[in-house]
This record gives sequence, structure tokens and C-alpha cells, in this order.
Amino acid sequence: MTKKLSRRTFLRGAIGGTTVALALPTLDAMVGTGARADAGNEPFFGLFFWANGLPWHAKHGGEQAAAGHPDLWTPAGASAESPLLTELQRHRVSVATGLQPHTDIPGSPPGQGDGHMRGFMVGLTGDRIRPEGFDHPSHTLTALRPTLDQYIAKHPAFYGDTPTRFRSLELGISQARFHDYGHWNGISYNGPDSQNLPIHRPSQLYAQLFDVPEDAVILGRRAQLLDAVMDDARSLRAKLGATDRIRLEAHMDHLGEIQRRFAIGAGTCEAPPIPGDGGSLIQQTETMASLLAVALRCNLTRVFSLMLTSPATTHAFGNLGVPDGMHKTCHDGHWERVRAISEHQMSAFARVLDAFEATEEPTGGTLMDRACILGVSEYGEGWKHGTRELPVVLAGGACGALARGVHVREEGGNVAKAHLTILRALGLEHESWGWNGGDTRDHLPGLI
Amino acid sequence: MNRSPLTGCLLATLLACNGVIDEPAPTSRENPVDLPDYAPVAPVLPRLTQAQYRNAVGEVFGQPLPGVELEADTNPYLFTNIGGATTTLSERGAALYDEAGHTITTAVFADPARRDALFGCTPTAPGDECVAGALTHIGRRLFRRPLTTEEQERWTGISVALADGDAWRGARHALAGMLQSPHFLYRVEIGEPMVDQPGWRRLDGYEMASRLSFLFWNSIPDEALLEAAERGDLDTEDGILMEAWRLLEDERAEDAVQRFFAEYLDLGRLDGLDRDPETYPTFTPTVAASMRSEVELLVHDLVFRQDADVRRLFSTRETFVNAELAALYGVDAPDADAITFVPVTLPEDGPRAGVLTTAAFLSMNAHPTETSPTLRGKYVRERVLCQTVQPPPDDVITDLEMGSTEGATLRDRLEQHRDDPACASCHAFIDPPGMLFEHFDSMGAYRTEEPGGPVDSTGDLDGVPLEGARDLAALLRDDPRVPSCMVQQLYRHATGRLEQTSETAAFVALEERFAESGYRFKDLMIALATSDAFRTVREVSP
Repeated sequence: MTKKLSRRTFLRGAIGGTTVALALPTLDAMVGTGARADAGNEPFFGLFFWANGLPWHAKHGGEQAAAGHPDLWTPAGASAESPLLTELQRHRVSVATGLQPHTDIPGSPPGQGDGHMRGFMVGLTGDRIRPEGFDHPSHTLTALRPTLDQYIAKHPAFYGDTPTRFRSLELGISQARFHDYGHWNGISYNGPDSQNLPIHRPSQLYAQLFDVPEDAVILGRRAQLLDAVMDDARSLRAKLGATDRIRLEAHMDHLGEIQRRFAIGAGTCEAPPIPGDGGSLIQQTETMASLLAVALRCNLTRVFSLMLTSPATTHAFGNLGVPDGMHKTCHDGHWERVRAISEHQMSAFARVLDAFEATEEPTGGTLMDRACILGVSEYGEGWKHGTRELPVVLAGGACGALARGVHVREEGGNVAKAHLTILRALGLEHESWGWNGGDTRDHLPGLI
Repeated sequence: MNRSPLTGCLLATLLACNGVIDEPAPTSRENPVDLPDYAPVAPVLPRLTQAQYRNAVGEVFGQPLPGVELEADTNPYLFTNIGGATTTLSERGAALYDEAGHTITTAVFADPARRDALFGCTPTAPGDECVAGALTHIGRRLFRRPLTTEEQERWTGISVALADGDAWRGARHALAGMLQSPHFLYRVEIGEPMVDQPGWRRLDGYEMASRLSFLFWNSIPDEALLEAAERGDLDTEDGILMEAWRLLEDERAEDAVQRFFAEYLDLGRLDGLDRDPETYPTFTPTVAASMRSEVELLVHDLVFRQDADVRRLFSTRETFVNAELAALYGVDAPDADAITFVPVTLPEDGPRAGVLTTAAFLSMNAHPTETSPTLRGKYVRERVLCQTVQPPPDDVITDLEMGSTEGATLRDRLEQHRDDPACASCHAFIDPPGMLFEHFDSMGAYRTEEPGGPVDSTGDLDGVPLEGARDLAALLRDDPRVPSCMVQQLYRHATGRLEQTSETAAFVALEERFAESGYRFKDLMIALATSDAFRTVREVSP
């Protein structure tokens, strides 16, 4: 039943006859069932990102130590308990502390040691930032390689022959951003200059997940139409230089993914009520997380990224009595305010996990049993942009592969080890991970 | 990716960077004799911006059209055209194009009168002459050139394949497909070989039509422009001049010019502007929209109504206020109300002159609780003078901690900051011009006191001591870097990329023509349209 047919086979078949030729057995063979019999038995990966790190303390460096503030994050012992982890503890998250980027910092162009950009890119890709873009005024924040969510979503062994309807979903909550240059308002990259900007409104996510025509004939026509679009690109391709040809081919590859989705059709997932947009940051997070939980339970996807706040966010937490944007608040050294914001950001993270915990799977258990979530920020702390002590949270059981509620500490350890831990927990064996001085062969001990 | 915008930085440095630490190197631009001849650079492939897409479908299908969601623009190096030329579309972006193509065509076809008018005929069978002719005609508008025979056959063919017994259904699908074709979504401007110039390619007439219409209208060519291309008019400078002026005198040019200025002046940062309610109790969300309108009216006045020296943008005492801006500026404008803007002349002995003393500039370069001489100075350096501010050295401390300086003015704190040699190099470059605006708070209101003491707005620009923003305005009025920067910004916007060293000669020529015209912005646009740099590209090896 899982005999694999090429997309071309399907489309030629469809063009040869009438569109009714979209017979279901053919579809099943080509795209998988879209609603797998074994759904619920495979882990999903999620990336949860929050901005501007955590409140600074002595382990971040000399100046931070001189400020004399306590470490509210690092658990004292082997279980993941600390003041800032209070809300996450109920979901038995594991934490790794002491990690930091190990990548080289090239001297030219200058600025590549910048905490935001270096910490962000290493924390999400295992590689340093793409060197171009440090010349002002661009501050172009762009990656050398895919962020972990996209790496996993496109890994041949992750979905195999049966990708879910969406290989990944990219979501964001706060729309505040540091620069109006557009590259700072998302965290998911396919590679250099290729970003997946997040969906910011629950109603947009709802439309993407559930506003799908139920009529297979209509979807079949739309799929066939995209073939003509791809044919139209052919004459252009030969005329382009290498870079633009790659851009065009990536665009055309997306059309193939869209055709695959059309072939899967509306599916059988029962749509929840249409959500409202707006509300507080926490309310928006809850709304988004509940939709995401439905998508995960129905196996509409197995990879997501959720950006609570964007790198170096200027989000003003007025509800917490913080008058300025967060980035400036960090820079101005308002430790108490940053502490309040950090508690709030962890509370939002916990709400996401609440939604997953509350979602029971068809096969028993909850989404948290399948979850493999990396919670990460862009650096250790925002006052001095210190990249030491990059916060790393691992949430969920990854179908039994991840240890829960554990604290592991490796002072000065390579953050790429967290990535390797996740890849191995997901069954994606890699000998090593990390680039440009940031490579490692080891996962974090005691977690898998 | 080899062709990054960075490759153009050589020129940016050569032309613009006075050096933060180093003395400016003598540039070839100061010795025009040494200028190497112009040589074209490789073409780029800009994807339409959201505005260009919406304008284009509006041109072809008419209004009203349903709202559609598209992938958000990005604006590296300030301009959405550069974002469109350097970034790769996301999968969701492709899916949004697919949805948009169907949503738009479905809406148009839902009204039989509108559909019939678009086609100008009624089909009797799928893909018949009526359908084929209309697709060829509409396709020419969308693709900005005649369709090839192969393309005609493809789109007519798909209108047959998907008709399922209904010719209109097939035709609608074909149009929804064309709206997703790369020939519509990307600006393909790759030229044809020039026999006398190996390695050069000259944009053909249709490509020039597209370039001109996106520059002057931010949209696709109209029928007349395509006909000019077909006649070969756009192969000559005279023909280009004729059409460029026609486009520029059309009302659609205003929107395109405003969009350029909005990106150059970064007005997008006024969206979502917020002030701390305790510090600024009078702030309302509507005031940001008023601030933006003021700048748009200034641009309209200088570029279109007066067709005057556009450098005056930085020094004029004439501006436009509605009631809330009049109150903010403390000027008398009895005829102004919430939505009516009236022209006012600011007092000669007042603190304000030019766009850098508008509430728009002053508030978007400030924090919710306090001003930011750093942000304001950086804007002057980077946007107005096109200078490069070096990023801080690695691991430099960039905070302005209150700590021991509690109660000090922002100036005191910044000066302390500059005592640190690691910070000094950048801040000595940025802060002195930024300090000139200290008499204006985070909303742009005039003040004499700030938290910590009386306001001191003294500063300097490149060692010339100045008392405040009015002095800076007077200085900028004749600073040659201002028009030169404007040329650079327009060039980036128009080409979707950074300029490169081989184009310096063309740049210098543009600046000269700008000066000869008395710095009229419309003349600069016309000069650009006829410049070799706008009409030629380099051969690329596939």
C-alpha cells in the first residue's frame, strides 16, 4: 500500500482523463494517507524562542557578577527546579545550563561577536551567522544554514515517505521588532536569505489549517494548474545566474509541496471554533497554542517554531509596569524589570505546554509524551549581551526518548550538544553537529 | 550566495564613509579625470513587493478587488525592492500567491458584466478564439511583454484542460495560474547582447517599459507604454524621455514617489509607535498617523506642487499641521482640525526647520520614556548623509546604566559612555549631531528642561560646532553629501540592489545632472531613467 509513485505519475494521470481521475487509491500511494494509522506514535519537534535571554548573574561574567544579582535560573541540583522554572516545572521540563556558542568569530567584517546575532544563529543553527550584513545600516540578520526546525522538517528520515500536510508551521506572537528591516521578525530559516516569516494572527493559522475546500475535484484542478506554472518557469531558468536560479527553483519546489497538500485534501480533522485575534501576549499565546495542539493531534504537522518575541525585541511589557521596550530595558540595566519580563516569558512558554498536556492523543497519553521541544533564547543575558549560560529547555518525552525533569550542567559547554541531543532523541543519528569551530560529536549526558 | 548586496559596499565605502576613525581617503570622485568608465553590473531578479502586486492586479482587473494576504516585504538596506531581489520566497508565500490568484479571479468572474468587459467577448467553447485572444492580451499586461507562442499554447491549453465543460471556468483558472507565473511575479530584466560592447546587455524595449513603470508608478506598464516598447521608442533616449515624463506627470507617480520617500526616511517605524503613558500622557495612537501625513505633505509640496529644490526638505520652515500637530508645535493654525492639515510657516527665530525637526523624525528616533541622541545621530549619518557607522567592536558594552550617574542628564550619561575608548569611536561620530535635537522630547515637543537639568542642545557635525537643530538645518542646506545621498538611495530603490564601484561614473553623472536641474527630484528621476546604469546590465554565465 505504500508503493511510492512520483508526482508526475499522478499529474499525467489527471491530465489524461478528466479531473475525476484523481482516484483515491492513487492518491494514497503517492502522498501517504495524510492521516496515518500510527499517528500518535512518532515524536514531533518544536522550537520555542524568547528574546533577550534571562536576568544576569555572576556566571555570565565579571561585570555581571559585580552587579550582585542572584541566579534565578540554574537549578541547584539534578532536578530542574529553580525560581524562573517554577511554571515550567509542572510539565517536568529538562534544562541544560552552562552552554554557550563555540563558533569562531571572524574579525572581518567586524561585529560578528554581537550577542544577538551570534547567540541567535548558533543557538538555532549550530553555525555562526552569515558574515554579510554586519555593515550598517542593514544589520541583515541571516543564517548560513537552516534553523533546527527546518533541518528536521526536511530531513529525509524524519517524515520518510509520509510527510504530514504541513512539513512545518511557523508562528509568532509579539509583532514588535528591533529593526524595521524585516529580517528581525522571524526565527525560522531555510538557508541564506531564505526565511519563513511567522504567522502572527490565530485567524491566519486557522485559515491555513482548516479553510481547505472539501471538493477533491476543485483541489485537483488547482494542483494541475500549478504544473503549468512550473512549466512557465522553465524558459526563464536557463537565462538566470546561479543565485537567482536557486531562488526560482526553491519557489517552484514550494509549488510541488502545495500540490502534495491539495492531493491530501481537507482531511478529517475536526475544526475547532474560529479563534479571535488580539488580547494580551499570554492570551494570544494560549489561542495560538490551542490551535497548534489541534494541528499536532490531527497530525497536520510534526514540526513547528513559535517565536514569542523576536530577537532583541522592542516589545514593551507595559502590563508589568515596564515603560520601555525590552531591549532598552535590558541595556539600561533594570534587573528587576528583566526578572519580571523573564517570569512572564516563561509563563507564556508554560501555557504552550499546558495546551499540549491538555490534549489527549487518539492512542492515549497527551501531546507532551510525543513532544520534543527546544526552548531557547538568543543569548545568556541582555544587559551586556553575554553569550555565556545560553538558556536551553528540553520539554516533552519524545515518545520515551527524552529524560524529563532533569538538570544537566556543563560550564562552558557547546550549545550544539543540545541540538545533537534533540536529533538523536528524534532518531536522526548524526555523527557530529555544529560548524566553524562549533562542532561536537557528543550529546548532553543523562538526557537520552 | 555570491551576489549579496555586500558586493556593492566598496562603493558605499568609497563614496560615503568618511571613516569613523580613519581620515577620509581621497576618492576618485573628487578627481573626475581618474574615474574609470562606467561598466554595467549583473542583473537582479526582484520579486514584486506587496504594493507592486496589488497595483498590478488593480491595473489589469480594476477595482474593487478582495483583500488578499501576501508574504510580508522585507527591506534590507532600507528598501523593499532590495528585499524582493535578495530573498527567497517561503513556502507559505507561494501558498499565499496561489490563494490570492484564485481569490482575485473568482471575485472578478463572479460578476458576469465585469468578466465580459475584461474579455471583450463571449466564449462558445473552452479555449476558443475568444479565450485564447483574451489570455494573450491580459497575459501581455501581466508579463509586461507579448507572450511567446509556447506560452499562449500553454495557458490556452490549461484553460481547456481545466474547463470541465465550462469555458469560463477554464479561463479563470488560466488567469489564476498566470498570476502565479514567475514571469508575472518576478521582474525579469536581463537585456539583449550589444554588438559593440561585448559582455554588456541592453534592456529591450519591454524590459525598459517595466523598469520605467515600476520606477514611476510602482506598477506594471499601461497599454501606451507597451505600445511604445513595441514601436521601439524605448530603445532611444528621446523615446525614454517622452515616456518617462508622461508617467511622471500621471497621478500614479505620486504614490510611487511617496513610497520611495517613506522607505528612504523610514516612515514605517511610525507604525506601532508607542510612548510611556506616564511620561507622555498626551500621546495618542492617532498622532503617529498625523506625523506621517506631515512628511508626506512636505514631500508632495516640494516634489509635485512646487517642483522645487528638494534639498529644502532638510531646511524648510514651511510645513503642514493638523490640530494635534499645531498644538504639539505650539503654532497657530486656526483652520486646522483633526483631519485638516493647513500650511504654516514656522517662526524664523523658532527652534524648528526641516524634516529633522518634524515630530515624525523626532519621535521615531526616541524611546518610549526618553530621547535618543544616538538614534537621531545615526539617522543623520546613515540616511541623510549615507555614511557608514562601524558596528561596535566585539563584546563591547553598549549600555547606559543609570548606576552612579542617577539623576544625570542623558547628555552626561552619553558623555561618560564616550570616555570608554571602545565606545568612543562610534559614539563620537553619532552622538554630537544627535545631541542637536535634545530640545525635542520623545514626542517631538519643544522643551527647555529634561530630567536631570536644563536642556543643552549643543553638538557638532564633523567638528563644526552647532547650537541646535536649526543650525544643522542651515548646514545641511548646502552640504553636498545630502543630494549625493539622495541619488544613492533612489538608485538602490530603483535597481533593487546596492551600487557597485564600476558604476561610479554613472553616479557622478547623475549627481551633476541633479545639480544642473536645481536639485529638482523629478529631474533626478528622469536623469536616472535615461542613464546607462538604468538601461544596461552585464552578461551572466548561467
